[in-house]
Amino acid sequence: MSLLDDIQKSVYDGKTAPTLELVKKALEAGLNAQDILHKALIPGIRDCGAGYEKGDKFIPEMLLSAKAMKQSIELLKPHLAAGGEMETGKVVMATVEGDVHDIGLELVTVMLESAGFKVRYMGGDVATPDIIAAVQEFKPHLLGLSALLTNTMEAMPKVIKILEEKGLRSSVKVMVGGAPVKQDFCDEIGADGYAYDAGAAVPMALKLRKSMGG
Amino acid sequence: MEYYMYNDTKEVTPYERMAAALNGEKTDRVPVNYYARWAPLELLGLNFMQSWEDPDLWVKSQILAQERFQYDVVMDYVMMGPVEEAIGLKLKYPENDMPQLAVPLIKSKEDMKKAKWKLDPRKDGNMPKVLYAIRRMKEELIKRGKGRQRVPILTWGSCPSRTAACLTGFKEWFMIIAEDPDWAVELMELAFDGWLQMVIAEWEAGADAVWINDPVSSRDCISRQHYEKLTQPYERKFVEAIRHHTGMKVIFHPCGNWHDRMDLVYQTQADGYFPGPMDIEMLVKTAVEMNAAGKSRVKFINGNIGAATKATSDGKTAMPWATTMLKGTPEEIEREGKKCIETIEGAGFRCILGTNCFDTQNSPFVNRDAVVFTARKYGQYK
Repeated sequence: MSLLDDIQKSVYDGKTAPTLELVKKALEAGLNAQDILHKALIPGIRDCGAGYEKGDKFIPEMLLSAKAMKQSIELLKPHLAAGGEMETGKVVMATVEGDVHDIGLELVTVMLESAGFKVRYMGGDVATPDIIAAVQEFKPHLLGLSALLTNTMEAMPKVIKILEEKGLRSSVKVMVGGAPVKQDFCDEIGADGYAYDAGAAVPMALKLRKSMGG
Repeated sequence: MEYYMYNDTKEVTPYERMAAALNGEKTDRVPVNYYARWAPLELLGLNFMQSWEDPDLWVKSQILAQERFQYDVVMDYVMMGPVEEAIGLKLKYPENDMPQLAVPLIKSKEDMKKAKWKLDPRKDGNMPKVLYAIRRMKEELIKRGKGRQRVPILTWGSCPSRTAACLTGFKEWFMIIAEDPDWAVELMELAFDGWLQMVIAEWEAGADAVWINDPVSSRDCISRQHYEKLTQPYERKFVEAIRHHTGMKVIFHPCGNWHDRMDLVYQTQADGYFPGPMDIEMLVKTAVEMNAAGKSRVKFINGNIGAATKATSDGKTAMPWATTMLKGTPEEIEREGKKCIETIEGAGFRCILGTNCFDTQNSPFVNRDAVVFTARKYGQYK
């Protein structure tokens, strides 16, 4: 196995100290920071998401992987800044108006941050105009909307409609999730992606980001 | 000329119907309990905060809604909050939803000293308000029944894992499980007593049965191994302590998807289960096996309209969770309800017909009526 493979596996295993050691070793060996990020760390966290979907990983283990990933990115930052872009992309995360539930939102945020996204976390019960304002101001690549309640999920199509009216829709991909939200609802309201849980959110976010040329 | 005469005019009250089912026995028909939190408030045009600020409104809504919808139980507030607040947690109160965690109380081991672990439910925080609601409900039910309580009162308790997670914050709780399981145990040990004292006080105030739940140990959250070693033992301990101190029947609600660990769930020794969105056939089959092995004492299953299919565990099914109550038709509710009754009763358990989650907000009244209609149509005992 190569050093990059070792880093990828170490992130997947959620071992922070060994991951940091391996990243240091990789930098000392002259490996490119971008390669360490994109060929080892991000695949590691993506594997972790896939492991969660398969039932091999659970939230505690995912959080350990996220911690290993985040600290590794901190270690890479000086090298990344010199070598080019360091963010995977920018995301605004919000639970829609009338819905205060933000546990899932927080977990998805942790996973996205660990995958290198810069996240503006807005929390629960965010008024639609505030979400639109955040999109205008922060200019994210992705907008993540969450709802736990069947009656508040109806706020999601309203957000999408206003994005269209304001001419912002083409600049941002909309991801939706939350317990009552499913793929059919995502399709129905014209969102771009649906993730069942925090594990599935990272691959979906990376896929959407890639579709934008990221 | 012969006239047809009713040979059995004895009325079975909701109290008798529920009490029998909780004991694994039969009366006239399958009872109904869909944990009606919102139907009563919607019937009276109230939001949650109005009923929280005036417990008499909660009592009124529960009693009038039971009379209107004809299900077989009334409930107190059944929510996270009173105990956690008394321990020291700060909550936020949305206008029309249950209280939510505002700021975690315990961020480090040092913070555990800030918590008030020994509580008096009759004095501390908002616990007396919940007890008042139970007492008033009891008085009113007995008054309306002309001296006889016709409808049972269901109360609620939080499993230690849930209470601990509320105190630390959910993300932090999972991190504690990952990094310091001994601390997780210590937290559950400390969190245990508050809700136990509350459930005892709820029983003394007049509650007739209790349901408890855990939303943080499902397959969506932690591994089977962590469940078995860490949180399940505290669920079992909680069930045993409630039974020991109050004698109330205990309904356990595994909230979410627990399909890979229902064998362990049944070993919590509750009297019956109110399962989340899981396949009803798997739930029943596992209960049969665990009872036969002498590892559980399942008498009834309360559910499971809304996700009585295998496919709903995959996250791709069009009508998951309790959305059947919101978006489905009475015919769909009847079809799913019939399957639940036949599957559960067919295996020798009592069915308490309900949904796989709380009564969904803003569900059409016709759908709520359909649950009772289904129990009457398909749940008659011969």
